[in-house]
Amino acid sequence: MREYLWYIVCAVACLVVLVVLWPSEAGSPEEKAALAEGRVVITYWDRHTGHEYEARVKLIEEFNRSQNQVYVRTLPIGSRIEKLLTAIAGGAPPEICSLETAVLAALASQGCFTPLEDFMAAEPYLNEEKFFPHVWAMVRFDGHVWAVPTTTDSTCLLWNKGAFRRAGLDPDRPPRTLNELEEYAAKLTVRSPNGMVEQIGFLPWLPWDVTHMWGCLFGGKWYDPATKRVVCGNDPGIIASLAWQQTFAVNPASRENPPHAIDPTMVSAIPGGGFGEYQSASNPFYTGKVAMITEGEWQVEFTRKYAPDLDWGVAPIPQPEGAPPVAYSPNAVVDAIPVGSKNEEAAKVFLRWFYSPRPNGGASPASDYNYDIQNIPPRREEAMQERFTGHPKFRVFVEQLLTKPAEPYPAIPAMQLMSDDMERQRGYVTLYKITPEDAAHNIEADTNTELERVAKVRGRAAR
Amino acid sequence: MTRRERRNLRNGLLFASPYLLGFVAFTLYPIVMSLYYSLCHYNVINPPVWCGLDNFRTLITEDKVFGKSLWNTLYFTVFSVPMGLAIAVGLALLLHQKVWGLAGYRTVFFLPSIVPIVASGVLWLWVLNPQNGLINSTLAMMNIEGPGWIADEYWSKPSLILMSFWSVGSAMVIFLAGLAEVPQSLYEVADIDGAGRLRKFWNVTLPMITPTILFNLVMGLIAAFQYFTQVYVMTAGKGTPADTTMFYALYMYKNAFNYLRMGYASAMAWLLFILVLTATIGVLISSKRWVHYHGE
Repeated sequence: MREYLWYIVCAVACLVVLVVLWPSEAGSPEEKAALAEGRVVITYWDRHTGHEYEARVKLIEEFNRSQNQVYVRTLPIGSRIEKLLTAIAGGAPPEICSLETAVLAALASQGCFTPLEDFMAAEPYLNEEKFFPHVWAMVRFDGHVWAVPTTTDSTCLLWNKGAFRRAGLDPDRPPRTLNELEEYAAKLTVRSPNGMVEQIGFLPWLPWDVTHMWGCLFGGKWYDPATKRVVCGNDPGIIASLAWQQTFAVNPASRENPPHAIDPTMVSAIPGGGFGEYQSASNPFYTGKVAMITEGEWQVEFTRKYAPDLDWGVAPIPQPEGAPPVAYSPNAVVDAIPVGSKNEEAAKVFLRWFYSPRPNGGASPASDYNYDIQNIPPRREEAMQERFTGHPKFRVFVEQLLTKPAEPYPAIPAMQLMSDDMERQRGYVTLYKITPEDAAHNIEADTNTELERVAKVRGRAAR
Repeated sequence: MTRRERRNLRNGLLFASPYLLGFVAFTLYPIVMSLYYSLCHYNVINPPVWCGLDNFRTLITEDKVFGKSLWNTLYFTVFSVPMGLAIAVGLALLLHQKVWGLAGYRTVFFLPSIVPIVASGVLWLWVLNPQNGLINSTLAMMNIEGPGWIADEYWSKPSLILMSFWSVGSAMVIFLAGLAEVPQSLYEVADIDGAGRLRKFWNVTLPMITPTILFNLVMGLIAAFQYFTQVYVMTAGKGTPADTTMFYALYMYKNAFNYLRMGYASAMAWLLFILVLTATIGVLISSKRWVHYHGE
């Protein structure tokens, strides 16, 4: 018996350690109080971190104070798909999560989210007609509405007025045509006596690859929703846009390069062009190393925070002559309810509160959130509020969505692969390894192969 | 089995159970399942759909990026591992001399090995910066125009190979231990025979540290085939320019988590396993010809 006593003592000690270390049900005193009141505690995973997450937390705290039924616990998980994927696959997802529409398309097609069309149709503020059509197209596919749009974006041309002055250009007159854009890019590119690039005027793929955008602005068509296939292979607009991007890279085999062309390897030489410096004071646009970029409305807030002294302007991105005017809005951040959510009803209580005007008639928390992080509300009426259109710079971004049809990413399960492939093929084109025609053809073939594979697997899984 | 033996077996298993349970749950089960998934279309969310050897067929016959990733990884391995070993042996020889402050020198050369990989990746981005980087600035002083390094399609892999030499410290420490094991008597015999320094190195030191070289070679091979973090950090996971830094492990990761092709990525993992296994067995077989153990 004595010899067993030792084992028992060990087992009890292990148990005690386990009990002490076991995570408690409530994370904060407020949550404990909510549990004691018998409120349902649900979890919200935020796609944002940093100041954007803080803005969300502030509003969720307001919701928690206003409630006696539901309490929302928040967690910033960032934009990576892996965590959400494993949580859903493991059967332990949050009750609500915010995510980007590119991720939504990949996961919803695998049955990861609860369809919300009935819930949204019954809510007066969440009907289809309230939203910008391009935003609706990003959440409604495969016969269902998969998420509630929270924010949307609009991309414009941003220019550094100081760099314009130094180059002898009118700081208040941005380029209006593609020819002018090329001309300005050449004038704004500064080289040192030994040929090093000290300032880049403009590069179509800086700060990141936007091959999809240039294709849309050139009047090209990437995807056909009717046939559910990528159709860019022989599209003249797409091919022209790739050929135009190519002119910005020096052709090593040619003696005569256009004056706006630069050696693509020099991009990595620009300080701040590297890892983790985009959202910081060393962003190359803020430090004056790049004179013109195409960027979204969040730069109004980012420049206020990271480059308060930067004198910059914003204008629509020039399009080729004859191309139908379009705005570019590739992505939206949305709220979705994952399948396996333990309390869908409580999640809907929160969504209803977040997207409805406040009881006193004030703006909805969703609108406040967009205002706090300086994104564009996806609902037309909210986007037209004075606080969004009253700001001289922000107004330019919003106006694009109000006056032109906007082009989003296609809501297809292979979006991530397509986006990577667009960047890969554009990279080959600007290194003069393949022709723009080959690139367009490759993107079409690669993405369609993947779409067929996904459809085949879905068909077999359904059987 | 006697009662005592049974009891010993039970107690033994009980004490080993934390490891055994962990091994079964976190190593054996995933290995077996990944083999199964490699024969399925599987996206983590939905149940796997059996497809036989479809994933392997697509990888080998259709996927162009797969071919590139394999080539990049082989290129990196073939150059970085032998050259890294040579540098580690050289450093170990230097740091095996009896000079003042030896411990300090050893520490300095070992230090880079303990710098976190992500931090060293970011640091090297600066060292390799085509305009203001340490290397090109130094070259510019000698009126040599340096290449674009990591951003240049022809220099990107050599850049990473160069960078891999920065962390030869751990191999160097093992070589130092190997050098300390070489019997002094052999050098004395060589001295009596009138051997010079070079002769002693070729005929005494090198043969005597071949077991250490074998160990470092095998470990180096395995690490090089799995090369991931540095290139993920330095190219933001894109393998740019022109897929010249799309390494095998990076492409496998992108398939598994970015494109939701876990079955396909599992097939890649098994091909990598076969590759590493073949390389290791090849090295071990060849080692019979060139590795000398004490007393043999």
